Amino acid sequence: MPDHTEQELKERLSLIESMIAEGRRNTESWGWTFVLWGVALYAAFAWSALKQSPWAWPVTALLALAATILIASAKRGGYRATTLGRAIGSIWIALAITMFALFGGLGVSGRFNDPHVFAAALCAILGLANGASGLILRWKAQVACAAMWWLAAVAACFGTDDQSMIALLAAIFLGQIVFGIYGMIAEARARKRRIPIHA
Amino acid sequence: MPDLPELNPVVHGRLRLALLSLLSAVEVAEFTWLRAKTDATDGNLGAQLLKLEEAGYVTVEKKFVRRKPQSLYRITEAGRRALTEYVQALRQLLGPSIGAQS
Repeated sequence: MPDHTEQELKERLSLIESMIAEGRRNTESWGWTFVLWGVALYAAFAWSALKQSPWAWPVTALLALAATILIASAKRGGYRATTLGRAIGSIWIALAITMFALFGGLGVSGRFNDPHVFAAALCAILGLANGASGLILRWKAQVACAAMWWLAAVAACFGTDDQSMIALLAAIFLGQIVFGIYGMIAEARARKRRIPIHA
Repeated sequence: MPDLPELNPVVHGRLRLALLSLLSAVEVAEFTWLRAKTDATDGNLGAQLLKLEEAGYVTVEKKFVRRKPQSLYRITEAGRRALTEYVQALRQLLGPSIGAQS
């Protein structure tokens, strides 16, 4: 290889691998949404517990949705499409529609009285979304997060009302706040590992 | 002794190689996404993408979304083939030392 050093050629191979991995990455920059929705769920709980307001959940959910859309469009840094990305995106969009339809319908109809049913349904739906996403991405941490949601869904079916709420609050902390922060740290590490490009 | 392969000069530039590799992993990508992933300046990125386009390795679709210009890039079959051949040539040039890569 007279014109190219071995080091240079190896760097080219590393660059190709790094860029292909970067293009395929589907988990980037979404850790913050888990944290945001975790905080929103806590805020809705606190509001509805302290003020007994029927508006606590719908208003908090709509504000969190608006914040998600605003932050996502500000952070986007450009668009790219992959089949895997569309599959993962579809799961979370379907989750949002399911939550709004189910809990909105139950809330408006006044049949939203049993905290066990609410906690179990919320945990099971979040387990479904995290499980599907984790299995598609082969991301063990997210599959573990899904298993935690499913366990919480079962736990919420038993015990007193307070105990089922405690199970839900603990699951939100682990599945939204802790998992979201873990995702953000993983993203920051992946950004640091990226190979610099000089034309 | 077999002849050593030539490296395609269009693909060999670092930024062009990064762009082709990125585009090989996605269906379509916006200019701004490519810029974010490569940390390149608008001018340099545009110039390198133009070279890839002139070589027939990428196609560009320009449109307006909410009155803002949007450029969408896709790798072509020729581009995919050129990248594959480039990787094969690299591996051939590196030979046995490739296993020692960190």
